[in-house]
Amino acid sequence: MEEQPPERSEAGAEACGEKRGLSQAAEESIEDRISLLLRLRAQTKQQLLEYKSMVDTNEEKTPEQIVQEKQIEVKIEDLENEIEDVKSNIEMKSLALSRMKLSVALRDNMENMGPENCVLTDDMKHILKLQKLIMKSKEESSELEKKLLDVRKKRLQLKQASRSKLLEIQTEKNKQKEDVDKMENSETIKTMKKKLQTEIKITTVVQHTFQGLILASKTNWAEDPALRETVLQLEKDLTRYEKNPTV
Amino acid sequence: MSVLRSMDKLPDLNRATVLLVSTEDALLQQLAESMLKDDCASELRVHLANSLPLPSNVNRPRIDLIVFVINLHSKYSLQKVEEFLQHVDSSFFLGKVCFLVTGAGRESHCSVHQNTVIKLAHTYRSPLLFCDLQVESFRAAMARRLVRILQICAGHVPGVSALNLMSLLRSPENPPSKEL
Repeated sequence: MEEQPPERSEAGAEACGEKRGLSQAAEESIEDRISLLLRLRAQTKQQLLEYKSMVDTNEEKTPEQIVQEKQIEVKIEDLENEIEDVKSNIEMKSLALSRMKLSVALRDNMENMGPENCVLTDDMKHILKLQKLIMKSKEESSELEKKLLDVRKKRLQLKQASRSKLLEIQTEKNKQKEDVDKMENSETIKTMKKKLQTEIKITTVVQHTFQGLILASKTNWAEDPALRETVLQLEKDLTRYEKNPTV
Repeated sequence: MSVLRSMDKLPDLNRATVLLVSTEDALLQQLAESMLKDDCASELRVHLANSLPLPSNVNRPRIDLIVFVINLHSKYSLQKVEEFLQHVDSSFFLGKVCFLVTGAGRESHCSVHQNTVIKLAHTYRSPLLFCDLQVESFRAAMARRLVRILQICAGHVPGVSALNLMSLLRSPENPPSKEL
């Protein structure tokens, strides 16, 4: 009699064990099935999205005229860039959204956290400090940039001023040259030149007369050095003064 | 004699089909086996083809991804692939076509220059993958990659579409020319 209850309890225990095993297996299979169903649902959603987008594209009218290959390439690149822009927009928006969600969750959990609270508050204080530092350094950098810009402007102004001054100097020099040229062609110079010519002619005639006088007197002018000097001087050609008036 | 269209048929549930096209049979066989060995949540179907257009009398599921395998050692494979591309509808080129190049490792045997293939992939705006299909480990890695791409093209990955992937895998605009 006493053996039977333990047997029955054993059998009962085994039966319980089996039931537990069965329910576990059933649970697992149910879980598998649920996950499969969820996955299939996600798949069908994605495929539906793809088909919808295809339908939408087919509703748009494609241009019938034959576009050149280069233009097609450019268009394709533009469209690809558009896709990239939209994608980056979505990424930024989802980033902002997740950030907001995080801050809301943080705020809600602040009361509930105990010893971990101080770590969080320390982190947040550190973040605030760093952000203040960032803002300050940004202001400083913008001020420095402004100064740099001012210095550059001044430099440009100085350059322009020096350029204009040099231009003035050049025009002045040109004017002077013109004046000199003009003077050379003026009337006074011409009359002076004529006078010079007549004077030279007179002097040449006088020279020749003196030469004739000395030669006709039949003296030996080579012996007397003073007489020789005079004769040689009379031989000098005066027309070179006409050619080079500065001598 | 039909052109392959991407959205002609409805997709089968949890099933993804890839079409491997090349003139080299052995490579395709090996690649297909590697792809099937990889375990993924969706059911994989691998179709092999030596030439396009495919015969139209066979009942075939919707093809999600076409992989053109080009062997750099033979100009014939490149020529044939260029011919096959005419039989594919333009809707496939929105991310459902992929070019796989093998044999780039041994420069001395290459009769097709890499730049040719790069330009081809650039014209068709499709991703270009390089792999040495003779080596087992590289092949297995490439098979895994292809399985992931196939899953995305079949719509099994929520949030990522084939077009999305195409713009992610976009290569720089001017293919760099190799200095000889």
